[in-house]
Amino acid sequence: MTEKNEKKKAVPGSGLVQGLATTFKNMVTPAHTHQYPDTPPELAPRTRGVIALIEENCTSCMLCARECPDWCIYIDSHKETIPAPTPGGRERSRNVLDRFAIDFSLCMYCGICIEVCPFDALEWSPEFEYAEYDLRDLLHEKERLGEWVETIPPPVALDDAAEEPKEISLAQKAAAKKQAALDAAAQPAAPEPPAEPRGSAE
Amino acid sequence: MGEQLVERTAGVGTGLATEDMVLNVGPQHPATHGVLRLRLTLDGEKIVDAEPIIGYMHRGAEKLFEVRDYRQIIMLANRHDWLSAFANELGVVLAAERMLGMEVPVRAVWARTMLAELNRVLNHLMFLGSYPLELGAITPIFYAFREREEIQKVMEEISGGRMHFMFNRVGGLKEDLPAGWLDRARAAIDAVRGRMSDIDAIIHGNEIFHARTKGVGVLTAEQIGAYGVSGPIARASGVDFDLRRDDPYLAYGELGDVLEVVTGTGGDCFERFECLLAQTYNSLDLAAACADRLAALPAGPINLRLPKVLKVPEGETYAWTENPLGINGYYLVSRGDKTPWRLKLRSASFNNIQVLKELLPGCLVADMVAILGSMFFVVGDIDK
Repeated sequence: MTEKNEKKKAVPGSGLVQGLATTFKNMVTPAHTHQYPDTPPELAPRTRGVIALIEENCTSCMLCARECPDWCIYIDSHKETIPAPTPGGRERSRNVLDRFAIDFSLCMYCGICIEVCPFDALEWSPEFEYAEYDLRDLLHEKERLGEWVETIPPPVALDDAAEEPKEISLAQKAAAKKQAALDAAAQPAAPEPPAEPRGSAE
Repeated sequence: MGEQLVERTAGVGTGLATEDMVLNVGPQHPATHGVLRLRLTLDGEKIVDAEPIIGYMHRGAEKLFEVRDYRQIIMLANRHDWLSAFANELGVVLAAERMLGMEVPVRAVWARTMLAELNRVLNHLMFLGSYPLELGAITPIFYAFREREEIQKVMEEISGGRMHFMFNRVGGLKEDLPAGWLDRARAAIDAVRGRMSDIDAIIHGNEIFHARTKGVGVLTAEQIGAYGVSGPIARASGVDFDLRRDDPYLAYGELGDVLEVVTGTGGDCFERFECLLAQTYNSLDLAAACADRLAALPAGPINLRLPKVLKVPEGETYAWTENPLGINGYYLVSRGDKTPWRLKLRSASFNNIQVLKELLPGCLVADMVAILGSMFFVVGDIDK
């Protein structure tokens, strides 16, 4: 770089000319920018745009609300008793989610809630077009959060040197266990399909 | 400077007497980035006294750290200097890992080094663009942002964030690299490196730029020592100190042949800009070297499995890193809880900005903008 500087200093005004040459070169090359609303940006699947809620997966365990660094998740739930499935059995209680809301005016987009959710009820979606005229409208209730679900991209394939995702190895282990149990029972029952990588691994 | 002061007092009573004027620059002023306030005492166009008044953006980060667990701290810590989020996260996890006696997987170490260098490029490009802008040259920032976009794209692909990456975790990184990411990152590095000459050519040799910056705001090595100035600003004055070389962390110890500590001699605004420019080139080299190493590494994990509740054992440690803007240190004191008992943050900009008090007196108001811009600070990093 130093020798370049010395070259530049040789003729007075050469720096300006060089700058103008760069400007001219960039003037004749096509623009690097896109016209946003007409050309939507290509976003990576990991992009943290908005948080989607898969309501069926939520057990209202409150882990996300507790781990959230600025407490922007609101959860209300109540317990419901289900009558015993078999006569003489014990009746079960289950949590019913009444309200799940994320205040995106407070959210810091750190993704801790998604990381801690043990049932994968929360996922990132790269959608970002939910600006509002009023700050209060950024409070997304569970219906709105559920609408984002269809925009969740599939997880990206990992690098060749990466370890298998924990979900896959767990599911494989579970499937192998089931298979072994089936083989041991030596019953000609229809073999179960291998467990789904997400959620259904027990 | 002393002579000039005498001149001023001699002028009093001759009919052309000027009175000192106190001028507030900021906290909301286009010439300052963010909410830094400077109280200048002016004698005509000359600055007699300057006092940086800080704290308008104080968010109590250190106090907040005390009631957050180590994962939540990462989220808070990457925000004080919003232009070097990855480097900020790094200090926190390095401190926690050292206290826990954790051995971080080798792939994580190299990936962290690479991301830290890409983050440095992002940071420097911002200042390479914004500094000429403050001096009235509008074009360079467009080029700088074009290059930033290139790198931000790969950063977003791996971490999901464009500024607040939130990608470090105690024990490694949050997720592994996406397939093919290394190639795309290398392509981005090459593209940026190829077009860096545009920024170089348009402003580096520009005579107007030279006139505004050369010999302006000279910082001496003594002042640097007295005020604890660090980073590219200190190195531009010939203070040859870089933690990446002098106290290697991550994989910098093995990158000795690529790492070049750029130092200057003049210590003026131009030298600081030049130092930043040369350092950007070097960071691109380092990132490329890390990409090569990362590709050659055998398969393995990128993080460690952590317990549900992470508690750092009792004790204390000080982890410092060479952030893009200077030395960033975390002094972590733990009493065995899941939150730190105290986490002191030493941020680069806080120290770097204090020296303005020495630097500005004797300069003209027009030079103040040149000096302020060349100090490369982020207000969030000052106020914490």
